[in-house]
Amino acid sequence: MNDDNRTGDQDALDRAQKTIAQQAAEIQRLRERLSDERFAADLREALALATTVGTIGSPVSHDRLLEMIVETATRVISARASSLFLINAQTQELEFAVALGQKAAAVRKFTVPLGHGIAGLVAVTGQPMAVSDASSDPRHAADISRSVGYTPNSILCVPLYYNDQVIGVLELLDKEDTPSFTPSDIEILSLFANLAAVSIEQSRTHENLASLVGDVLQSLGGVPGSTRSRLDEGFRDFASRSSQDETYKQNLHLARLVHEIIWRGENEAKACQALLDGFAQYLRARSVSGGEPEVMF
Amino acid sequence: MERRPAWSAQFTHEALQSLQPVRPLDDITPEWAWGGSTGKGVRVAVVDSGIDAGHPAVGGVQGYVAISEGSDGLEFSSEPHSDAYGHGTACAGIIRSIAPECELYSVKVLGPNLSGRGAVFAAGLRWAIDEAMHVCNLSLGTTRREYYGLFHELADRACFENVLLVSAANNMPIPTFPSLYSSVISVASHEEQEPYLFYYNVRPPVEFGAPGIDVRVAWSGGGYITATGNSFAAPHITGIVARILGKHPGLTLFQVKVILRALSANMTRSR
Repeated sequence: MNDDNRTGDQDALDRAQKTIAQQAAEIQRLRERLSDERFAADLREALALATTVGTIGSPVSHDRLLEMIVETATRVISARASSLFLINAQTQELEFAVALGQKAAAVRKFTVPLGHGIAGLVAVTGQPMAVSDASSDPRHAADISRSVGYTPNSILCVPLYYNDQVIGVLELLDKEDTPSFTPSDIEILSLFANLAAVSIEQSRTHENLASLVGDVLQSLGGVPGSTRSRLDEGFRDFASRSSQDETYKQNLHLARLVHEIIWRGENEAKACQALLDGFAQYLRARSVSGGEPEVMF
Repeated sequence: MERRPAWSAQFTHEALQSLQPVRPLDDITPEWAWGGSTGKGVRVAVVDSGIDAGHPAVGGVQGYVAISEGSDGLEFSSEPHSDAYGHGTACAGIIRSIAPECELYSVKVLGPNLSGRGAVFAAGLRWAIDEAMHVCNLSLGTTRREYYGLFHELADRACFENVLLVSAANNMPIPTFPSLYSSVISVASHEEQEPYLFYYNVRPPVEFGAPGIDVRVAWSGGGYITATGNSFAAPHITGIVARILGKHPGLTLFQVKVILRALSANMTRSR
């Protein structure tokens, strides 16, 4: 009689333990899922914040920052004109990103094929170069010079590098008061070129959603390994699909426009806000009235 | 702040350090090293944008190869070609002015676009080694990290096969290859004008300083320009090495480096 009871108890105990184990596993799975979802929610929020804040909140627009860098370099080194070119990999040309100086407006409309003139050569060799009697050089982009009616005497050109690639060149024209740029000018200009390159790639990076996701993941930290790698994969897939996504691109463009406008000045910012507020209110009102069936008596 | 390589700061008067001679190694004289040599019989490859053979400062090119990236891989042409921009002609003109009878070979790897640059450059260097050139002037480099290993291997091979590589340093805070390797002679600019004046840097990776500031150089279109760049310092050393090899054929890289160091202008000489 006692043995049977004991066996019965033992069985019950075994079953109970089995149930507990199953439930523990279930609880663990639910915990993980909860943590995943919380993580996903955090990530979504961080992503949204990073994109909009990063775009709208930065103190200076990307274009203006580049301009400031080139302006400062031009003033510090005492040159009369300057240009910053970026390489367009598709067309294999240098395009003006910034042009300063008397003929800036005219010169901006040209693109320079890689390897053409001093700027093109520096882009191809990746070596800084200066020339002091450029007007006597028959090949220095003579066609562009002739078209704008300005042939520089001295030229200083340095490459812009980001990661290990040449992404553009920074060129100064006509050193004031002396016929040629000095070696220390070359060094100083290289420092400005580094600033410009970092600024350019920062703005490009956040267009590339995949690296933005990477940055955000890093900043969240403390994510358990197994979860992390599953999410990594999921997000990279999401990122590559989203970066083709037209809506995302439009939103980013919109954020940039708002940013540009508000940094023009306080009045412009207020006008922009008033405009957007007004438009949003109109849309809200319209959707409310449109949703209700007309009441006919 | 850690000392960072400036454009040519290691060769300014303030930065230059005097070298103490190690006798009898540093008893070498310029007369012994290259006196009477014109670089005759020395094969010099200029791996660059091409050379305008007709330019008066160049006075003839002995051989050509132009390499480009085609749809099916690299394409090689040995037809005479001209210089796309003037850069290669400038280097050739400097070399010719120092070693008037050396044999110049134009290895054209710089074209009007950037694609495949690293691969084309490597192919040009490989060609020069395969063709048993004595010296190669490399007034260009690649900054792409993925090419680190390939150029290191090529530079080692060149060194062991007695193909001396003279490479212009980049000196921007970006490593360039092969200028950084110990198996090449790396050159940056100093501010003097005297063509045979060069300095040795006690703190490599840039080893030698040669004229590279406001140098009057041959350019495309038959003319000349006054240019500044490490690109124009390297060929001065290339020319000097060609003269050395013309007088003492078969020297190894390390032997040539000892000679150059001994004859550097910052070596203390007791007279």
